Amino acid sequence: MFVLLRHLAKVRRSAALERGAPRSVAIRHVDAGSCNGCEHELGAATNPYYDLQRLGLSLTASPRHADVLLVTGPVTTRMRDALLIAYHAMPEPRLVAALGDCALGCGILGDPDQLSGPLEKILPISIRIPGCPPTPEAIAAHLIAGLDATRRARNAPVPG
Amino acid sequence: MSAAAAASVELIELPAAAWHDRVSSVLAGGARFLALYADDGARPVRITVALRDGTHTIILRTRAIDAEIPSIVDLVPAAEWDEREAHDLAGVRFAGHTPLRPLVAHPPATADWTTPVIGEDVHQVAVGPIHAGIIESGHFRFHVVGERILHLDLRLFYNHRGLEDAAIGTAPETALLLAQRACAACAVSNTVAFAQAYETSLGGAPDTALRRTRTLLLELERLYNHLNDIGAVCAGIGFAPGAVAFAGLKERAQRINAALTGHRFLFGSVALGSSALAVDGRQAAEMRARIGEIGRDAATMWREIDRNGSVRDRLGGAGVLSFEDAERLGTCGPAGRASGVAHDVRAQSPLLWYPDFAAARPNDPAGDVAARVEMRARELAACCAILEELLHAPIAPGQIAVIGPATDLGIGVVESPRGQTVVLLEHDRGQVQRMHLRTGSYANWPSLAAATTDAILPDFPLINKSFELCYACADR
Repeated sequence: MFVLLRHLAKVRRSAALERGAPRSVAIRHVDAGSCNGCEHELGAATNPYYDLQRLGLSLTASPRHADVLLVTGPVTTRMRDALLIAYHAMPEPRLVAALGDCALGCGILGDPDQLSGPLEKILPISIRIPGCPPTPEAIAAHLIAGLDATRRARNAPVPG
Repeated sequence: MSAAAAASVELIELPAAAWHDRVSSVLAGGARFLALYADDGARPVRITVALRDGTHTIILRTRAIDAEIPSIVDLVPAAEWDEREAHDLAGVRFAGHTPLRPLVAHPPATADWTTPVIGEDVHQVAVGPIHAGIIESGHFRFHVVGERILHLDLRLFYNHRGLEDAAIGTAPETALLLAQRACAACAVSNTVAFAQAYETSLGGAPDTALRRTRTLLLELERLYNHLNDIGAVCAGIGFAPGAVAFAGLKERAQRINAALTGHRFLFGSVALGSSALAVDGRQAAEMRARIGEIGRDAATMWREIDRNGSVRDRLGGAGVLSFEDAERLGTCGPAGRASGVAHDVRAQSPLLWYPDFAAARPNDPAGDVAARVEMRARELAACCAILEELLHAPIAPGQIAVIGPATDLGIGVVESPRGQTVVLLEHDRGQVQRMHLRTGSYANWPSLAAATTDAILPDFPLINKSFELCYACADR
């Protein structure tokens, strides 16, 4: 056990990550037909080399606790209903983030008969994270930039 | 054995009346089941089954008059999902396969696709398709009494994108991309199997450089997957130090992938007919050193996990898949070997570079979670040794040499991190007519359900992680 914990301490020292600005955002992930690449990289974003949690971003088990719905995949016909149920279970205000090229509608994947997407047609996307799959750094950077832009837009004085 | 012998494929067309007997006689000759699929493009519907004896593939094909033929599940229980899929996608009825429950189709009524389990206090627990963690989509319906699981019905195909249909009419280079994107974690396995199917159909055989490069890519894929899987089992029992250590090791392996090929999942590294990957001696030596360090660190971390009393208590005896069940269900990959099924495609892969390969075996092939995790640890050591051997020399571009006659049908078989992955490919004048992908995950999902019987419900996430099957490449 102590060998493992010492190893972890060493990894964290060598990664030398800085803490971000205070933030509290809970993210619910839904796979709507992904190849699992985006899932692997989202998981990697929580490993000690990236540590998404240090930026105040956490992944939550229930959509009822989530601020952001993070969707991967081209939205298959079979996942459309489950995706909508998860979205409608979320408290407002809520944001939708599209993770990866498939969710952004630029994938090459699939037979149109089996797809309901792109996601854009089904839910309002606020944050776009391109890549196939996006790297853990890209996921963190786009989430932070997207959340900050949304907050600025909400706090901006109403013109006129 | 020469590469030409490895490419031997025998296609036998037969009437539907002879279907069952012929499959039976080929199996009696010692062949293993590879895959079964149907096409509804032409009427009557065409059904194809691929069987393999050593490295010789026998493909039997028939047409189903009135869309019905005899089932072969009595001969090959491993073909159960294949027949259910062929029914849902091509409308074939398999006489004798009763009940023929929907697999790809998703009827709304639960009773239409689940096994009736009746008795006092029996109830169902439904999980998914959305799960608590960062996990692919799929639905599990447990039939339980108290915490005891009597039976598990799997409903996958939430990620069904119709990739095989999308491949029809495309150029082989486009279909290769579809096979790759079927599953990120199996991208190399799927594309090498596809490339083998295409190249062998053209009568081609890879030169030494191409065989070495593809083996390097396959083992790099195995390296990060096996590291991932050990970490996932630790996460499944809440053993955070092990989960974090192996997540870090996986990250280091994926950075090697990116340094060598420009992609953390090795996307785009497998092409048809050739390989452009070139690694000079200096970079090969550097990568070799980094892989050696990962191997040593993984061995140290694994010892700490394996010697931890609470971990041993949790993994031992959980989710047992007996040797008899594994044989019957055609369980492959590390999960099969953990139950005592010695088969490993790498032992008979003349199109790749596995000199003197011997499949790893667990200390005790008990078929439990402990044995399946131990298999990953043992295969990691072997995987690092293969990679270090391959990186002793520079990696040079390679290509295919045509050594035989061209046909319109080819097959590729590789050992993915999860087991036997098969691609069957038919093409005509530069257009794909049919691509069928049957991955190790597809083969092993029914084995997961079998291993779950009699387990307690809270052990399911752990048992599931010990197989760590992909949903995406099963669903396609």
